[in-house]
Amino acid sequence: MTFWEFLSDRLGRLLLLLLCTGLAALFLFATGTQSGILAVLLLFLSMNVLDFFQQRSRLLELKTILDGLDQKYLFTECASPPKNLYERQLFDLTRRAGRAMTGAVSNAQAAQREYREYVEQWVHEIKAPITAARLICRDLDGETRRKLTAELAQIEANIERALFYARAENPEQDCLLRQVNLEKIAVQAVENHRSLLIQSGIQVQTEGLGRTVYTDEKWAVFILGQLLQNAARYRGEAPVITISARPLGKQVQLTVTDNGIGIPAHELPRVFERGFTGSNGRKRGGRGPAGGSTGMGLYLCRKLSGFLELGLEVASEEGKGTTVTLTFPAREELPSLKKG
Amino acid sequence: MQKIMIIEDDPAIREELALILENEGYTPLVITEFTDVPSQAVQERPNLILLDIGLPGKDGFSLCAALGKAVPAPVIFVTSRDAGMDEVRALSLGGDDYITKPYSIPVLLARIKAVLRRSFGEPEPSDVLDAVGLRLSLTKGVVSANGKAVELTRNELQILACLMVHAGQIVSRADLIDTLWDNQIYIDDNTLSVNMTRLRGKLAEIGLPDAIKTRRGMGYQL
Repeated sequence: MTFWEFLSDRLGRLLLLLLCTGLAALFLFATGTQSGILAVLLLFLSMNVLDFFQQRSRLLELKTILDGLDQKYLFTECASPPKNLYERQLFDLTRRAGRAMTGAVSNAQAAQREYREYVEQWVHEIKAPITAARLICRDLDGETRRKLTAELAQIEANIERALFYARAENPEQDCLLRQVNLEKIAVQAVENHRSLLIQSGIQVQTEGLGRTVYTDEKWAVFILGQLLQNAARYRGEAPVITISARPLGKQVQLTVTDNGIGIPAHELPRVFERGFTGSNGRKRGGRGPAGGSTGMGLYLCRKLSGFLELGLEVASEEGKGTTVTLTFPAREELPSLKKG
Repeated sequence: MQKIMIIEDDPAIREELALILENEGYTPLVITEFTDVPSQAVQERPNLILLDIGLPGKDGFSLCAALGKAVPAPVIFVTSRDAGMDEVRALSLGGDDYITKPYSIPVLLARIKAVLRRSFGEPEPSDVLDAVGLRLSLTKGVVSANGKAVELTRNELQILACLMVHAGQIVSRADLIDTLWDNQIYIDDNTLSVNMTRLRGKLAEIGLPDAIKTRRGMGYQL
């Protein structure tokens, strides 16, 4: 609140006061008491200035309290008690509104938690029949088995995305940062998507993966898996994916490079947006081992990598290919690891 | 024959699993009553236990502790819960390995083999393969015949090994690619052709130019 805002807010009252003071001064002037005029004018001025400072400091106090709160809707519970009747009434109203809001928020949180728990439980339940189906597939002859296995793998990839989408809402629960070998992460990610990769006729090359990083293995496997799926989906002629690692100070950079169709420059800044599929995604729509762009993969990668303190960058040239760089943090950069 | 006890509440999974283990030369022991598993284990004396964590009534963790007291067999946890804490808990409770569903069968079999080898000091699988007059040393990567020998690259070695294991049978290109991917050689169809040509060239050097026959539309045969 500035002084001018304060003045314009009380314009009517001030004008009335000014008028009265003027009349009083005129009266005093007429009766011949000159010093009295000065005193009245000073009184008028100081009253308002005092008012202004009082109000401002009170507002400032309340604002500091609000700024210091994580859950802003708990403001009325934490603010210092009201100083006068009018304020008290206002406080009561705000508090009632706040209570209603708190109730609504905690209901929503409970609903969300239950939903997440259900999704996780459902994912675990659905894995049993998929495992059974995979085992049954084993008895079939080559071609049918391969086709069915590929479809099952596609189902699994979609389920996995749903699971991680639910997990990303509450990452503390299962993010476990440990020392992991990059090779292990890469082998697991390739294995998870091998049907898609083989069917897409892709060759995967690995370079310098004999390093360890500090991360959550499952999450890293998931992120790398999304990148592999993208590389397979947007492949070009004679597709090759190169997964390579190199040190960068105490950090480790993992790059996934493909020679696919690439991403148009004007779409690059938007690839991490939720639901963004881009012109490539629309062109290669439909389903099948390489179809069905959802716009969720990279969005989830960005979200999960935030929790892992993982750098995630995409560079691409249309028609030439795409390079995604994952920068794994050094051990010192992970506060939770130091504590553990 | 080694006995593997399957503790799994999903009937479809445990029956298929039993079939697969039987085909691999193990004796599967299927548990259908989950009331007193440890005493069943004492009776059957399995060499290895595959244990599902999400069992009806009792959870696999406490069962693992009870099993550990009853029999000395190693335990592999098989579960669809893949939270990181579960794995730590499973291994700290005396589990020997931890596999999450849905697993691929080669991975499961490889883990079983590895755990059995660790626990019983089984001999390493033979280093040398012999078939149709060829002798292949897996660790050295050398194939020999007619008193002549030639070195192979990693890719050629795996291709030849796969053909020799299935000597006389037709191995399709897709199966070959699958086998190579199992061994972390992620090649495509064209690269397989290139490697096949080179392998045939090397076999010709040691006097067996036509050892690998192409069966049109079906695959290769040694």
